Amino acid sequence: MASEHQRGKEYYALLEQLQAIDFALVELNLYLDTHPTDSNAIEQFNDLTEKRWALANEYEKHYGPLQNLGRSYSGYPWQWNDEPWPWQV
Amino acid sequence: MNAQTRTWFPYVSPFDPCPPIRVKTYVVPPNLFITFQRPDLPQYSPAEALRAGTLWPSLYGPYNPQQDYTGREGSHGI
Repeated sequence: MASEHQRGKEYYALLEQLQAIDFALVELNLYLDTHPTDSNAIEQFNDLTEKRWALANEYEKHYGPLQNLGRSYSGYPWQWNDEPWPWQV
Repeated sequence: MNAQTRTWFPYVSPFDPCPPIRVKTYVVPPNLFITFQRPDLPQYSPAEALRAGTLWPSLYGPYNPQQDYTGREGSHGI
């Protein structure tokens, strides 16, 4: 029987969106390392960063912290060592 | 055989003990032909970029070695 916090479709959709934006940010970051004066790319990078944080906060509101050591808030009781861990997702 | 795959033909000696591989391939990804990336190149959407492995279609290089070995003489039966 599925454990009580079995994740649904929207959980995985949200995670994939976050992953897609993170990947685009990696690409832009690497691009900007060699193109520091490309203002359009910088603007896009900042837009995507803002969007990424909104999405991450949205995720954390529903499913708990994404990161630890002060990079994410936790609910009560302490959520960091809850299931599913990243390798279980 | 996609556009980024090129072929060459190794010499086959009559004294080869094993069945010869007559056609071998190598990949020429787009980054070989782009010295410095121009700004404002067209981009994929983030979701597509995640699948393609790059943000820019002009740099898309799907490396797929398996496709080259099927059905070639002496291709180790892959």
